[in-house]
Amino acid sequence: MITTSSKLFYGLGAVSVAAAIVWTIANDGGALGAVALVFIAIASIFLGAIASYVRDGHVLSTDIAQHDSAPAAQRGPGRSWFPLGTALSLGMVVVGLVTSPGIFKVGIALLLAMLGEWLIQNWSDRASSDVGYNARVRGWVVHPLEIPIGGALLLGAIVLSFSRIFLALSAEAGPIVFAILGALVLFFGSILSIRRGVSRGVVGALCGIVLVALSGVGIATALSGERQALTVASAEDHYAVHPCGEEAEEYDGSAGRAVSAKSSVAATVTLKDGVLYAEMDGFSGPLSSITLQRSLNADILFQNEDAGMHRMIVTYGKTVEDLGGGVKKETVLQTCTAMIGQGGAQQVVVRIPKPSFASDVPYTITASGIEGASIEVMVP
Amino acid sequence: MKKMMNQLGESMKTARRWQNASKTAIAVSALSFLASCAKDAPQDTWQPAGPNAERIDNLQRPVFYVAGIVGVIVFAAVAWVIFRYRDRGQAIPEQTHGKPALEIVLTVIPVLILLGVAIPTASTIFKLAKTSDTEMTINVTGQQWWWEYDYPAAGSNAEQYGITAPIVTSGQLVIPENTKVLLRVTSRDVIHSYWIPKLNGKKDSVPGRVHLLRMEGSKPGIYAGQCTEFCGLSHAYMRMEAVVLSRADYDKWVANQLEPYKAPEAGTEAAAGEALFIQQCSRCHQVNGLANPDGSLIISAPDQYLVSGAAPNLTNLLTRNTFAGASWDLLTPECRKNVWNASSADFGERYLEGVSADCLNQKDLREWLRNAPAKKPMYADPTKLTTTGGKYRGMPALGLTEDQINTIIAYLLERK
Repeated sequence: MITTSSKLFYGLGAVSVAAAIVWTIANDGGALGAVALVFIAIASIFLGAIASYVRDGHVLSTDIAQHDSAPAAQRGPGRSWFPLGTALSLGMVVVGLVTSPGIFKVGIALLLAMLGEWLIQNWSDRASSDVGYNARVRGWVVHPLEIPIGGALLLGAIVLSFSRIFLALSAEAGPIVFAILGALVLFFGSILSIRRGVSRGVVGALCGIVLVALSGVGIATALSGERQALTVASAEDHYAVHPCGEEAEEYDGSAGRAVSAKSSVAATVTLKDGVLYAEMDGFSGPLSSITLQRSLNADILFQNEDAGMHRMIVTYGKTVEDLGGGVKKETVLQTCTAMIGQGGAQQVVVRIPKPSFASDVPYTITASGIEGASIEVMVP
Repeated sequence: MKKMMNQLGESMKTARRWQNASKTAIAVSALSFLASCAKDAPQDTWQPAGPNAERIDNLQRPVFYVAGIVGVIVFAAVAWVIFRYRDRGQAIPEQTHGKPALEIVLTVIPVLILLGVAIPTASTIFKLAKTSDTEMTINVTGQQWWWEYDYPAAGSNAEQYGITAPIVTSGQLVIPENTKVLLRVTSRDVIHSYWIPKLNGKKDSVPGRVHLLRMEGSKPGIYAGQCTEFCGLSHAYMRMEAVVLSRADYDKWVANQLEPYKAPEAGTEAAAGEALFIQQCSRCHQVNGLANPDGSLIISAPDQYLVSGAAPNLTNLLTRNTFAGASWDLLTPECRKNVWNASSADFGERYLEGVSADCLNQKDLREWLRNAPAKKPMYADPTKLTTTGGKYRGMPALGLTEDQINTIIAYLLERK
């Protein structure tokens, strides 16, 4: 039997083991702290075992007759895992203090939740002498919080696992896996719904297995990281404004696979047969001149339909910096895409701070390596 | 006897309760009814003034009537059941479960009603989303807390309407009558929503996205609107107006907007106002053509001072009837009435007169120039700008003297 005080020792032991693992990872193999924590764990578990054996010291271990009749041997109000949870949360807070603010914050949240649960259970256990009634009283108080929060956490875990899995899979495999999973859920759901007499336990066990499997794969894929294209795109910060000339390794291989971010761009610029033209919602036909709002983050999608690698270059004036002594440094303001192959596309965000009439030279969109192809950009 | 008296007392109490409840119900109904009788309701969706709003009206009216009839039937049935089968100490009647015929009927009727609503709804949605028949395109950009309109000099705008250079304005959207205008709605900062109830439904303006909204007015006039997505402190002061002009008047408006800048005559109060404007206002507000004494153009830099990176272009401020996010009129109440209540034939001429010195609403404009944040809350406290990197979300108090305000107003009066 796990007695009250033994739970505290077991909890401390478990926390110490967890802390030792975290310590080892966080300190790159530093042994001293881990050794101390492991010894604390061993000692705690040993003390917990003794506390269990002697029933928290209420009965002598040699007094066999008392083992069943002593008050400490009577069935209590039920197992409570909240002391253990509190101890784990406290450990998490301590570990978080040393390692990461994120772990610390989660630890604090868990600690508060565990303490709250512990308090309420303690109160409900003394509501009456009827254990069943006490459990119901507890439920009235905490279920309105426990069920929605638990549900949200469960849903969050499922969504997070799914997102990690699909970010790790290739763009081609993702839809196939999703379709197969959906079909499997539909298939087993249909079988369960038409078969009579399937016990709740079986359904619950099936759901549990699926959840554990999903979480496991989610954790595994989270640890393995996102697919190569996303990793590179993230490292290259594709949505940031690059100085023209910096090369990117990744861009959309298929412009036709437009996602929502590309569905409502300010303009789509296409290079085809050596001609550069723009299309904008609201204007019929290709445009050789576009108007963009001033100081607005305008999304422009560049599509290369020509053979060879090209990039789109948006040029919008220049800045002049006075370096002193009559020396001035001119910087041409440009935003570019990466060099893109045939059939590729890349979206860039252009923010033009000055109106076009402020510049002696017209604002333009051009394509690298294509002489004479240009779109005028007007900014009011 | 005592029992009878008690019963009589109870009956009287019940009757009084019913009387009070009836009075309250009648008062609430009357108030609701009267609230729908507002004569001057510029944002009334039940008074469409263009084909797009008419399509919505043609859909919402029958749906409203059907929903009203269903609502009355349901309320009456519930009231009858409550009254007829109220607890009078009678025995609980026989309990039954399931009545397939009734259940089927009660399922089929709502399905038929919903189908009857869904078909015209889908049809209306597709008609309102159509863009292939666009005759004019205008960019609409929301920011805290005003709307900017710019007319691109491209496509049919340039070919058919003579917009040879982009026009930028704010507060009032000016469009030609019976023209299928497509608004490209976006935002510089947070999500707003564009809505001129008499001309069409609403459309969210979302940073990084361009949403399309059809707009068409059947007759000349001014149509009011309001941002309908909570967008911060002065959301309630983010208003807009759509001005519909006849084609001839619209051409005059375009020509006026494209006219080059005319500097005030030297030595006048307006010239002093121009100098002060350059010093105080041109950091954020652009006036196209405004130049330094050496002839170099003055280009505002709102990017450096404002979170949204934009401030209203004031090149032709006094051709508009409103200022500060269309929250206040530039016209005095009498002059405003002359414009708003003008017949369709006279409206264009009155609107194109712009704001004269006699018609200028000096009170509100002066209050604005004295201390803008006091009139419209805009997070403009210079001591609390650390979270925005030192940038304002609106116009700060400039600390102008009354004389300086006079010169600024003299200068602005020539901006038309």
